[in-house]
Amino acid sequence: MTATLQVDGLVRRFGKVHALDGLSFAVPAGELVGFLGPNGAGKTTTMRAVFGLTDLEAGVITWGSGPIDAAQRRRFGYMPEERGLYPAMPLAEQVEYFGRLHGMSAHDAHAATAKWIERLDLAQRADAKIEALSHGNQQRAQLAAALVHDPEFLILDEPLAGLDPGGIDAVMEVLRERVRAGCGVLLSSHQLDLVEDLCESVVIIDHGHLVVSGSVDELATSGPEQLRVRIDDVNDAAWARAIPGVTVLDAGGGAVRLQLDDSVDRNDVLRAAMSAGDVHEFGLVRRRLSEVFREATA
Amino acid sequence: MTSNRELRRATSLVAAREFRQRVRGKAFRVATVLVLLGVAAAIVIPKLANRHSSSPPQKVGVVGSLTSAQRSAVDRAAQDAGVRMSLQSFDNRTRAVSAVRAGRVDLVIDEATSVIVATTISRDDGSDTSDLAYGVAGALGTQAAITRARLSTAQISELYASHPVPIQALHHEHHSRPVNQAASTIGLIALFIMLSQYLTWTLVGVMEEKSSRVVEVLLATLRPVQLLTGKLIGIGLTVFLQAAMVAVVGLVLAGTVGSDVLHGASPLVLGSTLLWLFLGYAFLSWVYAAAGSLVERQDQVQSLAIPLVIPLVVGYVSALSAIGSGSASLFVKVLAYLPPTAPFAMPALVGLRAVTWWQFALSALITLVATVATARLAATVYRRAVLRTGGRVRLREVLGARAN
Repeated sequence: MTATLQVDGLVRRFGKVHALDGLSFAVPAGELVGFLGPNGAGKTTTMRAVFGLTDLEAGVITWGSGPIDAAQRRRFGYMPEERGLYPAMPLAEQVEYFGRLHGMSAHDAHAATAKWIERLDLAQRADAKIEALSHGNQQRAQLAAALVHDPEFLILDEPLAGLDPGGIDAVMEVLRERVRAGCGVLLSSHQLDLVEDLCESVVIIDHGHLVVSGSVDELATSGPEQLRVRIDDVNDAAWARAIPGVTVLDAGGGAVRLQLDDSVDRNDVLRAAMSAGDVHEFGLVRRRLSEVFREATA
Repeated sequence: MTSNRELRRATSLVAAREFRQRVRGKAFRVATVLVLLGVAAAIVIPKLANRHSSSPPQKVGVVGSLTSAQRSAVDRAAQDAGVRMSLQSFDNRTRAVSAVRAGRVDLVIDEATSVIVATTISRDDGSDTSDLAYGVAGALGTQAAITRARLSTAQISELYASHPVPIQALHHEHHSRPVNQAASTIGLIALFIMLSQYLTWTLVGVMEEKSSRVVEVLLATLRPVQLLTGKLIGIGLTVFLQAAMVAVVGLVLAGTVGSDVLHGASPLVLGSTLLWLFLGYAFLSWVYAAAGSLVERQDQVQSLAIPLVIPLVVGYVSALSAIGSGSASLFVKVLAYLPPTAPFAMPALVGLRAVTWWQFALSALITLVATVATARLAATVYRRAVLRTGGRVRLREVLGARAN
């Protein structure tokens, strides 16, 4: 049975460094949440805290109705940033071993291993030692180890790093499938475009505390309105600069990107554009997640 | 709440994986073959050497003639000494002495009244010449006394059919020499090789789990003490599999070739050596595991290995020296009560018969108590250090600090 993972007021210091400084957020069941932040923001410490791998000065992590315990953690799947598998152990045997550590019977672990290595296109390498696999296949093997016990919740640190486009598609499809099955997923990545495609919502942290959170759609349309305008045979933005409350963000290649103050009516901008020439393109611009991230962590 | 049954299940899974991986490994096969070859050599070679050295018969010169009774006494003496001999008559004493000096004969019986040898001998030098000379001298002396006493044939028969009366000791004195030096030495060497091998596995195994980062995935599922305990049990089972193989092969081989290793106090030495292999591994493996969690590279392991191995080497060398000299110094007796050195010193004291049962039990108890205390400390060090990466972790950094 899946539930919401709630992180509430986490505090963790390493000497004088505040790795976590009152961090709070939630990951509901059946939702894929991007966990973003610059290097050293506290993402890995947060993930480790969920699994009890670091002590906390303050704060609580709850799963469902109460603080998370060891038995509940065993029903989670974990893929740490620094990949960890036994180099000299065969792939299938290793995935099965992790399944058993998560409480599966030998029979179930064997069957689930066969299913996941097939699903992740590793069946041909089932008996190969991990150290003999390519980097991309090691990534897939790590994911198989995290998925083998059919976890209720997944915490994945940079699961897409080092994968080729085919591998990225395969992993994204698996994650979407798990989410459809009701599994909550907290996914950390610096590949913001992929996160934007994959995740429904994001949590952005910096210096150990939350700076922005919300759905990807909300964040893309939040803040001052932006327009993209292209006028035939007009290559400068003089017409736009003449409109009070309009800022020209970018001009070149025959198109301009404009940011509108709250007081500006976009119909006034359209009329000014039409006055300048034949309008070829006029539309709202969605903010990229990378822009939201840069603004939030600036 | 995680039940105790689930905790035990996870620990046994870790132990089973560790055991499987170790036994499958080339290092285990090579080490087992080397130890078996070493033990086999230690059993078979002395036996072959003894057989070879006892094969030439002793050449015994005889000046004058021997009566049939004297001849029988000399034959019995040779038989009792386990020495074959061939007799050679000499016309006079001068020729016989020349033959001894030239090495053509090993000893001379001079008119049944004295025995002549080339150089001074002692009763315990272990040579065939010594054994035979003392045996013959004693037999001829007895025979002369019988003749002087004018005993009847029946009395003489009665005399030769005599048995020694039992010896009753009022105080138990420790023998200064081991009953079987070979068994103690073989046991110590095998113990040192096996303990060194498996403790190194423990150290490197923990380091590799840390450096490969698999420990983070494992600890997301297991408690640190489960992972560590399972690992040590798994390697420990490998130790005892190898020890059992060595013991069985050693005993069978010794029985087959009729080696002295099976005689005297050897079963006691073998039993105490196996027990101390268990106790030594139980104590030292926690120390090595904690040390392994402090490092993540091979060069860091080497810098740690030196201080770790010093107590083992001190215990081993001291115990081996004690066995070689046939006596236990005060230093070795002290080492026998210190957990890092007791696994070597205590079996040596057993071999020397220089320890009572309660002293043995006290030392074992000290090691067991130290093992429990060390395990708790090691688990704390492991928990706090094993997820710290980026360089060697200092012990003082983790003691008194939080987990990573």
